[in-house]
Amino acid sequence: MSHSLDAYLILAGILFSIGTFGFLARRNAISMLMSIELMLNAVNLTIIAFGAFIPTLKVQGSVIALIVLAVAAAEATVGLSIVIAIYRNRKTPLVDEYDTMRD
Amino acid sequence: MSWADLATIAPLAAAILVAGLVIVTDIVLPGRRVPALIVSFVGLAVVAGLVIAVGAHPATAFAGAYRVDDLTTYLDLLFVAVIALTLMFAPDYLAARDLPLPEFAAVLIFALSGVLLISASGDLLILFLGLELMVLPGYLLAGFAKRDALSTEGAIKYFLLGSFSSAIFLFGLAFVWGLTGTTRIDGVATALRAIVAGSTPLTPGLAMGLAFLTTGVAFKIAAVPFHYWTPDAYQGSPTPVTGYLSVVPKVGAFALILRLFVGALGPLSADWDIIIVLLAAATMTLGNLVALTQDSVKRMLAYSSIAHTGYMLIGLAAWSSPNSRIEGLEGLLYYGAAYAAMNLGAFAVIAALQRRTGISSQLESFAGLGRREPFLAILMTLFLLSLTGIPPTAGFFAKAYIILAAVQAGGPAGILAVIAVLNAAAAAFYYLRVVVYMFMREPRGEPAPIFLGRLMRLGLIVAAVLTMVLGLVPGLLLPIVGNAARALTL
Repeated sequence: MSHSLDAYLILAGILFSIGTFGFLARRNAISMLMSIELMLNAVNLTIIAFGAFIPTLKVQGSVIALIVLAVAAAEATVGLSIVIAIYRNRKTPLVDEYDTMRD
Repeated sequence: MSWADLATIAPLAAAILVAGLVIVTDIVLPGRRVPALIVSFVGLAVVAGLVIAVGAHPATAFAGAYRVDDLTTYLDLLFVAVIALTLMFAPDYLAARDLPLPEFAAVLIFALSGVLLISASGDLLILFLGLELMVLPGYLLAGFAKRDALSTEGAIKYFLLGSFSSAIFLFGLAFVWGLTGTTRIDGVATALRAIVAGSTPLTPGLAMGLAFLTTGVAFKIAAVPFHYWTPDAYQGSPTPVTGYLSVVPKVGAFALILRLFVGALGPLSADWDIIIVLLAAATMTLGNLVALTQDSVKRMLAYSSIAHTGYMLIGLAAWSSPNSRIEGLEGLLYYGAAYAAMNLGAFAVIAALQRRTGISSQLESFAGLGRREPFLAILMTLFLLSLTGIPPTAGFFAKAYIILAAVQAGGPAGILAVIAVLNAAAAAFYYLRVVVYMFMREPRGEPAPIFLGRLMRLGLIVAAVLTMVLGLVPGLLLPIVGNAARALTL
């Protein structure tokens, strides 16, 4: 069994890395938001995998996964509203054009 | 869960209720500022009363997930005070820009519920929830001037980096939970103690989890090299919000660090101690060096707040040496209170200057302030001297306690003491440059006089009195800070 837990954790790690890469490489604020969602989904996959393969963590795992879902939803709401606000001011979703403030 | 458990979360429940009441007030009496302010201040007083009442009996509740101790009480009172001061500084600034005060107050008090949750947390998951409850309203406040391009730009940078770091923190949390089998802070500490004793090995997965947790937290306190969101978020935000952002989320994240590093990861302190030392040295030095080159006072104070993060981290580094466990924490907690008073005060002076729209936070705006507005100029001088660390102000004792603890700790933390002293000397240059502008430069043209609202004036006086009192009679706060530090180390 432990071998297949590793497989899920590696998959979650890959998903998390894709999310991180997307966050660092993309210029579009919406794509960056999506990358963050991908990272949070990787976290949830990790939690569910631990819950499914380790009997003592089963109940806790479901609860934590639900909490993470709720937090991710709240974050997406706030994030999208900020993106809309800045889009109205700037007419562009590209973050490297948000460069008014410089050292 | 029992009634006793519910009683311990009374302050938290009250904070959420007060925020709800402020919204209801705004619905019943739309756009009226005074009723919303009254509800907020009375509500904050009730929350403070409940914090003191609940804190009188240290207890754990909800099977250990929630714990009230002297540290909780100290931090909670500090947070309530900071929120109340922010509410005093904001009305003038918001009114001048047609921004709604009741919504501002409600969001601010929702953020308070987050920090109350952090400071009373006995569980990593609750810590994370508190963190999110604290930062989500923060993103909204940063973008509160939604028609202003700078404010939304600061908000989106704050939001993107903030949620990126939350995801990193959560990934680490998932691994620590999966591999130790618990999210309880005590449980994690027990599991790590077994690893240190050698009875179980430190698996790569667990080590990775701990590294992710550390990185996530370093983002939140804006430690170098995880700081690059800070200057833009602080400069873009409406000025009273900047004051709030520089204090509550930072001290709140330090509360999280205390619970996490001292509570859960304490057994591994010999391993993380060097990381904290490096972070502290880099954070102080880079924060101060970049602050030297800034012309905007707001942006300069943003970099200076990064430097202050570095000083506070020294307290944690000192804790990891057995010679100075209590002293390090005492220093850190004292620094938190001193930093709150002086930094809020400095940003409040800028907010007062910007009461009329169109006034920048450039150094030139401060020219001749000593002659034009002696009250504001003298207070700003006091706050800046305190930020520099000159006696008899709060900042002096804050730095003194931290540096003494570092010297006592010896080893790598001892080197930090030297770096901190050198940094404080370099920082004096850019703080005092503002004082020079205020008293020795003449303004271009004749700027209009500044009208200060009554609340603003009162808030400034409170911040100034706190800065002076903490600098003249540090003995007042020391026993409280000592109890808080001991509650954590027990």
